[in-house]
Amino acid sequence: MKFFKKKNDLYLSDKQPLTVVGIIGLIITYAVLIAWSIAILYPLAQMVISSFNGDQGQYLMLNNTFTFSLDHFRYLFSETLYLKWVLNTLFVASATAILTIIFVSFTGFAYSRYRFKGRKPSLMAIMLIQTIPAFAGITAYYTMHSIISSIMPGFTRQMMLILIYSAGGIAGNTFILKGYLDSISTELDDAARIDGCSSMKVYRLIIMPIARPMLAIIALWSFIGPFMDYLLPRVLLTNPESYTLAAGLFTLINDFRTLNQPAFAAGGLLTAVPIVILFIALQKELVSGLAKGSVKG
Amino acid sequence: MARYNEFLYDDIGNPYERKNLFLKEVAILEQRIEDGDGDVSALKSELKALTSNKKNHPYIKKLNDYFNEEKEFKKNVRAKVASKRNELKGKHSRRVLKLRLDLLRSQEAKAFYKKYVELTYDAELFYEEAIIKCDQITEIINFVEKNEIALKEAQAVKIDPIEEQKAKDELAAFKVEQQKVFDEGLESLKAKKKSGLISDKALSNEKTQLKQEMKEAITVKEYEIPSKSNKELKGNLKYQLSKGTRREITVMNSNISDLRRKTPVEVQKKQAIIAYLTFLLPGLGQLLNGQIIKSFFFFLLSAFTYVVAVPYALGFGNYQGQGVAGLVSLAEGGRKIDRSIIFMIEGIIAMVLVVFVVVILYSSFKDVLNVERKRVRGERARNWFETWTNITEDGFPYMVSLPALVTIMFIVIVPITTAILLSFTNLDPDHQNKFQWIGLENYKMIALGQGVAGGPFWKILGWTLTWTIVATTLAIFIGFMLALLTNNERVKGKVFFRSVFILPWAVPAFITIMFFSIMFSPDGILTSHLNALINSDSLIVVKNDPFWSRVTLIGLQGWLGSAYIFLLSTGVLQAIPADLYEAAQIDGATAWQKLKRITLPIVLFQTAPLLVGQYTFNFNNFSIIYLFNGGGPFNPTKYGNLAGSTDLLISYIVKLTMDNDYQAIGAAITVVISLGLMLFAFIGFRNSKAFKEEKL
Repeated sequence: MKFFKKKNDLYLSDKQPLTVVGIIGLIITYAVLIAWSIAILYPLAQMVISSFNGDQGQYLMLNNTFTFSLDHFRYLFSETLYLKWVLNTLFVASATAILTIIFVSFTGFAYSRYRFKGRKPSLMAIMLIQTIPAFAGITAYYTMHSIISSIMPGFTRQMMLILIYSAGGIAGNTFILKGYLDSISTELDDAARIDGCSSMKVYRLIIMPIARPMLAIIALWSFIGPFMDYLLPRVLLTNPESYTLAAGLFTLINDFRTLNQPAFAAGGLLTAVPIVILFIALQKELVSGLAKGSVKG
Repeated sequence: MARYNEFLYDDIGNPYERKNLFLKEVAILEQRIEDGDGDVSALKSELKALTSNKKNHPYIKKLNDYFNEEKEFKKNVRAKVASKRNELKGKHSRRVLKLRLDLLRSQEAKAFYKKYVELTYDAELFYEEAIIKCDQITEIINFVEKNEIALKEAQAVKIDPIEEQKAKDELAAFKVEQQKVFDEGLESLKAKKKSGLISDKALSNEKTQLKQEMKEAITVKEYEIPSKSNKELKGNLKYQLSKGTRREITVMNSNISDLRRKTPVEVQKKQAIIAYLTFLLPGLGQLLNGQIIKSFFFFLLSAFTYVVAVPYALGFGNYQGQGVAGLVSLAEGGRKIDRSIIFMIEGIIAMVLVVFVVVILYSSFKDVLNVERKRVRGERARNWFETWTNITEDGFPYMVSLPALVTIMFIVIVPITTAILLSFTNLDPDHQNKFQWIGLENYKMIALGQGVAGGPFWKILGWTLTWTIVATTLAIFIGFMLALLTNNERVKGKVFFRSVFILPWAVPAFITIMFFSIMFSPDGILTSHLNALINSDSLIVVKNDPFWSRVTLIGLQGWLGSAYIFLLSTGVLQAIPADLYEAAQIDGATAWQKLKRITLPIVLFQTAPLLVGQYTFNFNNFSIIYLFNGGGPFNPTKYGNLAGSTDLLISYIVKLTMDNDYQAIGAAITVVISLGLMLFAFIGFRNSKAFKEEKL
């Protein structure tokens, strides 16, 4: 018994023992962390609560009574085009992701592995062009859409949006992928070339599998983009039938005819939940991709 | 003055004796004239006599005979091949038939050209090529036929159902047996584990290995089943027939291309002419150089040039405009429905097409010129096999970037050019349909702060800069602080805090901003909280008070932006090796010193480009301003009727362009801020490590 008691008195941690100052510091740390957690959770909790609160009409009533109800969700699905918007957004987002991947996987490979004429100036140009806000071209997009759709009648405004998103993503994503591929030694491609692989085969058999994690991240970012963007859909899409989520949900709070703030909260909640889950699950990958590309870029 | 060279050279500079004696004499004479070796005027007249009497030169006569006989020979071969084709038809597979006919051609060529090897390099090439072909095609035919026979045999095999069943039974028995072996092995391993000979880890490793061995043994045994092995065999043979044959043919083509590089060509030409004569029609020059497949592709480009691009640039096939001319006229004096903006954009598209045409013409010209010059020196033009190899290797980066380039051209370059050009026009509410060029007028208005639209520019710029610096720095500060605090090893519940802290980043920003906007409205919940907190006499409604609006926006951006910074810094913090801190600890560093000397430099260095990105992002952070309060509250005496007191330049541009039809001045502001941002990015980029290391 004595033996064990002695052991209890020993300080066994490899951390230094806490001083009084250290204890105070730790308390302050916890206070700050908890305070910020409240600052984050409070507004979000308000959103969740109000989306389930049946005691509201068109406007949010945040400090009144609470009755649990799913009315706002019902309203969202029956009275608004919410489902249509979800489908639109999914369509735009998937098409953007696929197009971006096709463009970028090739350009990233070319810029990382080849030393061709015009490489450096074009990289510089890409770098500079991407600082211009996407909005700069808005006046032209309208007109370009009418010109293209006069040639190809099936060319919708959504397709224009997809093209804008994916073309806008080429520059930055090429940089990210190039940075990632640069960090991988060329031994594998050299070996494949010695074994007689053509460039296309090296791309297909060596680069694609190696770059898959980064391509997945790029695809994910391109996929999330259309969920987040509000500006371009609002100006480019004119028909509520073709709205994406951001543009559609906005009509629930800024248009008097369709105003319904609790339904907006409900729609926002439904939109946010899958994205939040995705982000929290993949936070490391999402950030490492960004950091890698830009630091090495 | 261009002249003939006495020798021919290949691409690595090896000299070859000329076989064309006529040209050789000419070359020698010209050389002597140039060197002044002997009586120059006599030499010149000799040269003149030689060239004017070219037809009667013995070599030229021989050469002409050769050409005639070659024509005859080709006719004969064609007839022979045709009869042979009829004879062999049906007896062989298509692949073999083709190879056999090729072989026949090569055999004939070998016999025919042998006589002329000394006469001309062309004949020598054909002769040597025929030798290679005779040799290798025979081998390839053997290879193909052997495989074809084997394949036929394999296909003809009738699988005996009794044997099949027997093999299957055997396999089943074998499986049971293997399972037994596996179980026994596992038992003994477990016994070892129990007696403490091996560890848990070793047990599981050994177990997987045993399982793998069992699987492999069974797979090998499976091939004893006749149907299974037969299927495998057929697959192999088919693969050999398609891929193997192609590989053999590639080897042969490479041999031939080696030969072509080593056999020079002689042309009666001193300098390139075709390139200059045919540059307007890409494809023709390649055809004249004897590169037929290549010329086909260039003809396609020609078709694009003359069917699509040039007519469009001239105004045909336009949606409404007049091609390039529309850029000048801007629909001036046109019909009522003609819109200047369409004319302008079609003009820009036409310009892009013109750029494409110039590139096409130039590259075709360059290509023809290059080939022609090399031919004059003695190098042979590349055949399609060589060109194709070249394209797929050296041209690869261009080929694969082409789709991206074209898309960027139309979706990024055209709109940006439009914006730049618009900034020199008077497109405002009074000139929506037809507008004119007005030069630098818009920029002057902005610079002097005049006019309805240009007036508030400087005030907005001031707020934009304040906003960018304060809001971004606040977000960075909060994010970094939180990361630092959470990273403290004594803090418990890290997972919870981290998950909560990235929520503002994970929830789509437009949703949170809109929701905050609702909560800050006059009867919103946060308005009442705020008023309870500061306890002022009069009710403060954030959205109606410029000062409070700005403070709230900055705070909101701190709330939103900190999550991303938190995530970034956490990643970097976790990657800092602990021994740095231990060493500092031993040297007696205080916590503050550790933070200042170790943590901050590492985090800042690693995230610097992304932090710079945060500043540019906030400079153009349209959504927070627009969605929170639409740029309001409005203050017409100070900001005019168009802008509110929290408008950033970007949201002001949106308002000018989308809501108030001042597109021209909006474009001018866009150009100004884009130039500023570009300069910012350029300087940052120039100073970045990547650029300095020339890793680009």
